[in-house]
Amino acid sequence: MTAAAFVVLALAALGFGYRLVAGPTLTDRVLGMDGLLVVGMSAITVRAMQTGEGAFVPVVVVVALVGFISTGVVARFIEGGDQ
Amino acid sequence: MTGEVLALVGATLTLLAAVGVVRFPEVMARMHALTKASTLGVVLVLVGGAVTLHHPNDVTSLLLAAALQVLTMPVGANLLSRATYRAGAEQEPVAK
Repeated sequence: MTAAAFVVLALAALGFGYRLVAGPTLTDRVLGMDGLLVVGMSAITVRAMQTGEGAFVPVVVVVALVGFISTGVVARFIEGGDQ
Repeated sequence: MTGEVLALVGATLTLLAAVGVVRFPEVMARMHALTKASTLGVVLVLVGGAVTLHHPNDVTSLLLAAALQVLTMPVGANLLSRATYRAGAEQEPVAK
């Protein structure tokens, strides 16, 4: 079951990576980066479930915080960058 | 077993978000797909991990991460969409 979740997450990471590389606007690249962060958090959690070892679980909390801060900073950059 | 099923459903929702991000034709539609589907997906995966793991540290960390995700994902998407809309509206005014 967890192996199937890993396969599904890898396919999702391919889609987000495509949008990160090929996105026509800066917002699309932020979306791809956000999606990759979500995939990373999910992958860390699924790996912790697979092994029963929770050593990397605090990384999930840190990634959630840092992802929000980076999104907000890039949003400020987009809003004020062209003026 | 319950946690693994939750994780698989959450991963599938994240894959649906990725499909929407790849295939939708416009940036606001792509943001819509990513924000809604992947918020529910990652929360399901984290709750599945909290169900499966047993140590209290792990359970509280995963639930805290889920709560943070629910709180910050809509706010971040709102900031990003407003910034994108304002920048786009200044670059090319909407024809009426």
